[in-house]
Amino acid sequence: MKKKQLFSVALAATMVVSSFAACGKKGTEETNSDPATEAPTKEADNGSGTTATQAPTDNGSKEIKEFTAFFAIVPTTEVNDDNEVKNMIAEKIGAKCQETWLVGQEAKEAVGTFIAGGDYPDFMEGAAGQSQLYNAGAFIPLDDLIEKYPNVKNLLSTADWNALRQDDGHIYWIPQFSAMKGEEKLTVHNYEAFWIQQRVLKWANWPKLETLDEYFDLIEKYLAEGEKINGIDNIGFTMLCTENTDFALENPPMFLAGYPNDGCCIVNTDTLKVEDYNKSDIAQQYFKKMNEEFKKNVIAPESFTQTVDEYRSRLCSGAVLGIVDQWWNFAYSVNDSLKSQGLDEQGCMYVPTAITLNKGDKEQWHTSGVDLNVSSGIGITVSCKDPDGAMKFINDLLDQEIHTLRFWGVENVDYQKDDQGYFYRTPEQRLEAAETVYKTTHLCPYSYFPQYSGTCDDGINATKPENQGSELYDNLPDSMKECFDAYNAKTYCDFFKANPKPGPWYPMWTFSNNFDTTTPGGTAWQRMKEVRLEWLPKVIMSDDFDKTWNDYMAAFDDTNPNAYLEELQTELDKRIATYNELNK
Amino acid sequence: MNQKKKKLSTGDKVFYVFLAIFMILFVIITLYPVLNTLALSFNDGTDALRGGIYLWPRKWSIKNYISVFERDSLKVGAYITVFRTIIGTLLALVANAVLAFIISRKRFLFKKSLSLFWVITMYVNGGMIPTFVLYKNLGLTNSFLVYVIPGMFSAFNMLVIRTFMHGIPESLEESAQLDGAGYTTVFVKIISPLCKPVYATIALFVAVYQWNSWFDAMLYNRMKANLTTLQYELMKLLAAVTNKSSSLEAMKNSAGSVQPATVRAAATIITMAPIICIYPFLQRYFVTGLTLGGVKE
Amino acid sequence: MSLRSKSKSKANQDIQKVQFTWKEVKRQKVLLIWSFFIFIYGVIFCYLPLAGWLMAFQNYTPKKGIFGSPFCGLDKFKYLFDDPTFVRTIRNTLAMGVINLVATFITAIVFAILLNEVKAKKSKKVIQTISYLPHFLSWIIVTNIIHQALSHTGIVNELLVNFGILDAPIDFFAHPKYFWPIVAFANVWKETGWNAIIYLAAITSIDPNLYEAAAIDGAGRWAKIKNVTLPGIRPTIIILLLVNVGNVLNAGFEIQYLLGNGQILKVSQTIDIWVLKWGIGQGDYALGTAAGMFRSLVSIVLVVIANEFAKRNGEERLF
Repeated sequence: MKKKQLFSVALAATMVVSSFAACGKKGTEETNSDPATEAPTKEADNGSGTTATQAPTDNGSKEIKEFTAFFAIVPTTEVNDDNEVKNMIAEKIGAKCQETWLVGQEAKEAVGTFIAGGDYPDFMEGAAGQSQLYNAGAFIPLDDLIEKYPNVKNLLSTADWNALRQDDGHIYWIPQFSAMKGEEKLTVHNYEAFWIQQRVLKWANWPKLETLDEYFDLIEKYLAEGEKINGIDNIGFTMLCTENTDFALENPPMFLAGYPNDGCCIVNTDTLKVEDYNKSDIAQQYFKKMNEEFKKNVIAPESFTQTVDEYRSRLCSGAVLGIVDQWWNFAYSVNDSLKSQGLDEQGCMYVPTAITLNKGDKEQWHTSGVDLNVSSGIGITVSCKDPDGAMKFINDLLDQEIHTLRFWGVENVDYQKDDQGYFYRTPEQRLEAAETVYKTTHLCPYSYFPQYSGTCDDGINATKPENQGSELYDNLPDSMKECFDAYNAKTYCDFFKANPKPGPWYPMWTFSNNFDTTTPGGTAWQRMKEVRLEWLPKVIMSDDFDKTWNDYMAAFDDTNPNAYLEELQTELDKRIATYNELNK
Repeated sequence: MNQKKKKLSTGDKVFYVFLAIFMILFVIITLYPVLNTLALSFNDGTDALRGGIYLWPRKWSIKNYISVFERDSLKVGAYITVFRTIIGTLLALVANAVLAFIISRKRFLFKKSLSLFWVITMYVNGGMIPTFVLYKNLGLTNSFLVYVIPGMFSAFNMLVIRTFMHGIPESLEESAQLDGAGYTTVFVKIISPLCKPVYATIALFVAVYQWNSWFDAMLYNRMKANLTTLQYELMKLLAAVTNKSSSLEAMKNSAGSVQPATVRAAATIITMAPIICIYPFLQRYFVTGLTLGGVKE
Repeated sequence: MSLRSKSKSKANQDIQKVQFTWKEVKRQKVLLIWSFFIFIYGVIFCYLPLAGWLMAFQNYTPKKGIFGSPFCGLDKFKYLFDDPTFVRTIRNTLAMGVINLVATFITAIVFAILLNEVKAKKSKKVIQTISYLPHFLSWIIVTNIIHQALSHTGIVNELLVNFGILDAPIDFFAHPKYFWPIVAFANVWKETGWNAIIYLAAITSIDPNLYEAAAIDGAGRWAKIKNVTLPGIRPTIIILLLVNVGNVLNAGFEIQYLLGNGQILKVSQTIDIWVLKWGIGQGDYALGTAAGMFRSLVSIVLVVIANEFAKRNGEERLF
């Protein structure tokens, strides 16, 4: 008995002592090593964890470097370690990267723990936490490295690179989605629009809709026909009003007034002043119209409380005639579902309309070119032991051969090439590319590393399959082909005018995305979002529009919108000044 | 059980009818979401988007399961999760039992202050960042230990065991001590055998906690692919739905790869299955009814 | 039963009489040594991180850390309580916390007792297994089902309209008054079986002789439940109640986040959601810490009061 006691005490003692010893050791290790030279977190099987990031050693030039990356963004499909394309790329360029994404946290939260810990992966994108990372000195300046690697250097124009310079004149990150080469190739209008089902347009013999009134008139008339789809009554119009997708609720007035997608405000191109569309007459006019349509039972009453899943399942039923939404938020899943039910041939797919509030207004739903996102991008961190190799990795990924491998896949496996060198996919290949399993085991786009849109170096093919013209048109059901032909369109973009970017400041949302409550403007922005979410449904459903509108305006003014506008104006002036100074 | 075969009175009959109805309703209501999830998990993803799936799949497919199982990281995660569940449960059970035993001894000098010390820990929390920095300095980040060490002692589990131990007559301990038994013997030989039901309960709580944990894997072992856990891997599937993105580009990119609800359902079923399998072994400790209690005296 | 609790409170008095003497220390040295190690563990893992509370008085930035950030006094607390939306989240959290506590508590106890009355062993096991299954479903799945059932075209509206209780379907999520009950229902639905486990375990420990004695005294079913079962699990009930009283400000995050929408933000936003949106989501950890500190303080005060109350009534207590 005594022995047992002794034993248990001894056991406990050793446990505690050993755990303390472990802490102590770790502690000293850490104080001894300079934070800058600390090994980045690596796979355990890399032995010492440092060999992997070193430049190829003399014994074997084929050694494959392994980098790590963290993106404070919701995960895309994660690829397996033995992913086929990933390893093909690794063979070719001698490097690969383990990508990690944000899970169950806010971007700023995740970034905060990285900073507190002081250890970073080799590559990082902070997204909303990008400025925090920068302020914490997590990124290394990239200017010299960019100069050294031509593919990276050519990614953006000098003006664009200049716009990315921080206060100290250095570049710290590379926006991944802001580069285009060759001729612009786009097949879908990725942004917002009022969409209408093909069958409605066909029924009215392909009218050219120009105004919001015409749009709703047509829907009303079609509703009055009382047709059913699959035995379900038609729903006139709906939109998604959740917190994350409030754009469909609040920003149509901006487009309807004829302004491009600045996202958070209107920029008057004559005076170069920032204006608030929320309080404009246009907004009042728009919501009055919505209010009328709600009273006419055109707008579904459940619109304002539905979840994303419910919204999508409504669209998948084929019963909703019209929506306002951004393409990516509904098209991928809804189109697949409509096709699988055969509803695509019954005219349930959505066609964009280029409408404005008043006839003759300028229409700017679609701006051509890519948006330069200055607020975030991929950077190399101070924990990276081989920044040169890291930049070389980015450089190699931009090589045309590798780029094709990333986005198109392997020739004759993922796509075919015809006699003219034109890429196309067979229906089987197209289906396979959409499979989750295939994405995990075979395809490896390194989707958050810098990439090009536009045309490949061969001058024929789009850099990504989704932008290859034939990929879209050939893939359309006959009903949509008929519709596209009627409107003389080959792509979704052809339904709109091709508008150039309005100016060097565009788009302003790259600034408002980084708003936080440390400034009065950021606080106001956050409050405005809440007020709009609460009040706009009330306004649309109101029995007494004018009164509710005035109440809404009063609540809106309480959020201090002027502070917000002032900050936007400062940024606008700064962007224009930077542009003028650096590009005389 | 002892009043076997006694004739049921009318009141009893009414009671049993009422009880049966209540239990049937209860079972239907609680089973529904589970069956719904099961049905969804076997339904084609695109088809399920339309909604309207209740208890039976409309278009059968096992693709959801394949796409979950196809991830390498899931296998690693499953392995780690089983490991941490076993080790974590054993450690926590022993730790909390010992602590509860000490605190429930009536002669123990710091009984009250130590109780207060632990009760407070339930309501205070230094926050994510200080905890992260602490664990990093203790060498717990990027290691397996972070799964089992920090959660070892828990005031709640201790309190539950303590309450149970309070119910054990002191005479048992006293007579053993008269026979010369020390505290260790009392704990191992006398108290613990009587505490089986509460140990089983706590083991279940800890095991389920360990099984379902993902936050620690995400926070402390984020860049360690070989220390991932099952639930963390499944959270990645859920995350795409609940998280909001900062930029349009990010939303666009992720929208194409949002995991359909059916994959979510399959993932849920996969994590539930093992727990359901193990449960009956623990269940006998707290559902066998009155027979077990008799061991006590 | 009353005898039992009386003897226990007497025993409690004895304990306070144990003198702090060398002899006593020697006698219980095993206990002291072990408790010392466990105490060290507690200090390291539960109390050391509280250094983070300093953040609440700082303009914290991750770069400068807890020991380098400039102090700003009580600014963060001022910001919290000057913000009417935060004050409203306290109300919401407290209301939902109390409603959830009462609802889940009662249902779990009632369910455990009723299940104990099921005499067929097999059904009992099956029912119990099924009852705790929803605990393993994530909130996103549960809220999806609830949202669909309660939507305009959902089953609830359909039933209510068909039975003539309603003239037209109503949107349960457009009216603030339905939100708290819905949240309470969701919690009850998901957790009743799970919460009952602990009571079931407590019931198994009740001495069967007590039931026999009660039967001999001619006690019926209700009398047995009232005089044997309930007193038997009373300490467990009291302890859980005390613990959960301190948790009323933890009404949760996910469920309100997933079920809420802009129109009912005024009743759906909890402290956690607010902190995520205005604190952590904005990179302002100090604000989150201040809110957390406030919550901890309230919790501890509530627990101490409840504990004192239990002590006065001679009940089982936390400390």
